[in-house]
Amino acid sequence: MKLLVVQRAPRPDGGSTQTKRTVSADWVRVGRNASCEVHLADPRIALEQGMIVNRGGPVYLEGEAGSTDITRKTVRSVRLKPGEPIEIGPYEIKVLDTPAGFDAAISVDLVRPLEAAPGPATRTAPRSLSALGLSKRATAWAGLVAILLGFLVIPAGRVLHLPWSGNDRSWDPGPVILAHQQVGSKCSACHEVAFQHVKDRACLECHPKTGQHVGPELKPATLFEGVRCASCHKDHKGARPMYRDSDAFCVDCHRDIHSRSAQAKVENVSDFTAGHPPFALTMADGTTVRRVRPDRAHPAKDDPHLAFPHQKHLDPNGVKSPTRGRVKLECANCHHPDASRRMFEPIAFEKDCQECHRLEIEPAVTGRQVPHGKPADAVAMIDEFYATLALRGVPDSFQKAFGVPGEGLLRRVGEPTVAERESALRLASRKAHEVAVDLVEVRVCKTCHEVKRDAEPKGSPNTLAWTVTPVRTSNRWMPGAKFDHQAHSRTPCADCHDVSKSKKSSDMAMPTIESCRECHGGSKAQTGKVTSSCLLCHGFHDARHPWDPDFRPRNPAPRVAQAEPRAR
Amino acid sequence: MRHYSILEYARFRWFKASLALCAIAAAAYLWHDPSPKPYGGTALGYTLGTIGALLIVWLLWFGVRKRRYDASGNLQGWLSAHVYLGTALVFIVTLHTGFELGWNVHTLAYVLMLLVVASGFYGVFAYMRVPRVMTANLGEHTLDSLLLRIGDVDREMREKALSLPDGLFALVDRSVKGTKVGGSLGRLLSGTDPHCPTALAVHEWPRAASHLRDETAAKLSKDVYGLLLQKDQLLGRARRDLRYQAILQLWLYAHVPLAMMLLAALVAHIVSVFIYW
Repeated sequence: MKLLVVQRAPRPDGGSTQTKRTVSADWVRVGRNASCEVHLADPRIALEQGMIVNRGGPVYLEGEAGSTDITRKTVRSVRLKPGEPIEIGPYEIKVLDTPAGFDAAISVDLVRPLEAAPGPATRTAPRSLSALGLSKRATAWAGLVAILLGFLVIPAGRVLHLPWSGNDRSWDPGPVILAHQQVGSKCSACHEVAFQHVKDRACLECHPKTGQHVGPELKPATLFEGVRCASCHKDHKGARPMYRDSDAFCVDCHRDIHSRSAQAKVENVSDFTAGHPPFALTMADGTTVRRVRPDRAHPAKDDPHLAFPHQKHLDPNGVKSPTRGRVKLECANCHHPDASRRMFEPIAFEKDCQECHRLEIEPAVTGRQVPHGKPADAVAMIDEFYATLALRGVPDSFQKAFGVPGEGLLRRVGEPTVAERESALRLASRKAHEVAVDLVEVRVCKTCHEVKRDAEPKGSPNTLAWTVTPVRTSNRWMPGAKFDHQAHSRTPCADCHDVSKSKKSSDMAMPTIESCRECHGGSKAQTGKVTSSCLLCHGFHDARHPWDPDFRPRNPAPRVAQAEPRAR
Repeated sequence: MRHYSILEYARFRWFKASLALCAIAAAAYLWHDPSPKPYGGTALGYTLGTIGALLIVWLLWFGVRKRRYDASGNLQGWLSAHVYLGTALVFIVTLHTGFELGWNVHTLAYVLMLLVVASGFYGVFAYMRVPRVMTANLGEHTLDSLLLRIGDVDREMREKALSLPDGLFALVDRSVKGTKVGGSLGRLLSGTDPHCPTALAVHEWPRAASHLRDETAAKLSKDVYGLLLQKDQLLGRARRDLRYQAILQLWLYAHVPLAMMLLAALVAHIVSVFIYW
């Protein structure tokens, strides 16, 4: 298509300029782009606004603004005819008479120059966030200053001794343990100096009796240099006490304890399953204490100086009771849990033995029993009993007791003669002597105790005295281990303490480490085993040796936050 | 030439670096067996906290770096690292807390850090998506050229409407004088104007013009209605453009101030922790 384009533009002086151009193209492009054949240099026109094609005369086609894809659906299609101008944006296009040699001729007039367009009201409204008065910088500074003031400068007032006293509760990283809650928000009770670790002395103010791990002979200050209370005891971690329960901390030294301290008396330990020596038993030996590590070949013996065969008492057919026939005994008949329910009360004769082991003076004559304790008390009671019988006994009792017919001296008619009195006294004394010897050495005391008759003192023949070897029973053979019997109450006693075959009280039925290992694993989780760290059975602090022997409380005032006095 | 986004910069160099950092931190966290429980004050806690604090300072430095044209390294790389390391920061700092949170300045710093990163994520999303729809919306135009065209339509429409009855002219006149592009935060962000006089005119016109019997006037009315529709469409595009611009800017109004507040909370956190050591 060959097209004559006459472009007219107004001049500032009121006239107009006119340019004529000849364009030849199949599609005559119309647009703002300088490469367009019909160049409409105005910002209100799209880059390639449309095109003029020859379809039996010029036709103006306009696609979607900006589209260069000519196959796109036409949105405007106008056949250009003389006398029917079309408007493209601010331009008016008219068809002129077709000169010779051309397919068509058009004129292009800018009818609404840019300057003449009225300023749209849209220009005055704010069109961006900054125009709305929002400012990143101002907000940022305000936030920065607010947080620094509220969370740093003001709270720091009290602790840094600044002229103001702010509340630093917002610095509290978490609740303290229950026992420390009465100290409450009094931070300085423990945090004595700003920018310094909490010192042990702050802990000792309230806990002065806390023990060291080892005695002074092992120089704990050197062994534990740099270790503070707070190394293990962390607070502000919730209401439940938090302490370091990590075998690594123990094993660090105990794996090779003798290289840490030449004086160490314990064996190396690395893990309950993989590296723990057999249990040692601590036994009182007169005035000293000895520790024994028994094994199968050398079972431990601890003589309590008492005859007590567990086998006989736990006879499945029962034992003979003086009042109830045959009674089948259980462990719990004699071993009673103490108040803590973790351990047991010591065995007491009156409570646990006397129901069967009656201390009767002479069962054929009387049901009276002598007191359990010193033989002298028993002898005195026996003397008094028979003396009373000799004085006031009815004929029946008299004959049963003394084996001869008669009755108490005071029951006879008339004043007793000297010979009768001496005879009655002799009778009573001789019988008391016999019964005492029988009771102590044969029938009663000797059943359980080691009894030795004392030599008769010179000048007082027939005076009876015995020495009973003191019984020494223990229920703490493993004082270094914490054991909770109640926590193990679902396990039968015999699983750990098998005494059914024990004939002597010197047999010890303490569990071996193997029996514990049936249920307890080491510090690493193991299927079917209770994960057991060192602290499950052992403690760290040995209460016998103070943590800091030189510690003297500095602050006599109570550290606990004082409650406001209640108004009356 | 294919366009590479900042996320793909240098074949995901910073993505890989951040992933490695997170993996190392996670491995250390799993390996470390603190007693009694993991928290910010263990050896690993202090290490992660130091890394986190240094990262925060470095990430904040981006605000300075992007204004410097003489600095080393290209800004695209810096932004890529800023995005990926900022994401890794969430992981590192979460491990630093040991999941121990409360109502205190320490958790305030943590929450601010999360908010800064979340607003940053939104920014990345906006920069990935909005410029494309912005270009599609404007086409060959710019906002200014759209406004010029609206002004042009206004003039032509007003001229033609002068020959129409009062009621119809009033609609056009209100549209010419009262139409606003932008104005309030709500209008900028929604990209609409619920009380736009032009939309009102478009809505009212068919009913208002239905009584026109005169053929010339009816043709003129049809022309003006066409112009109104054109203006309405142009206004829609202009307002959408402002909306997109506002979206591109708005997240920074959260990101930047929150980042500065985080800096303050971080300082308060560190100082307070060491005062009560």
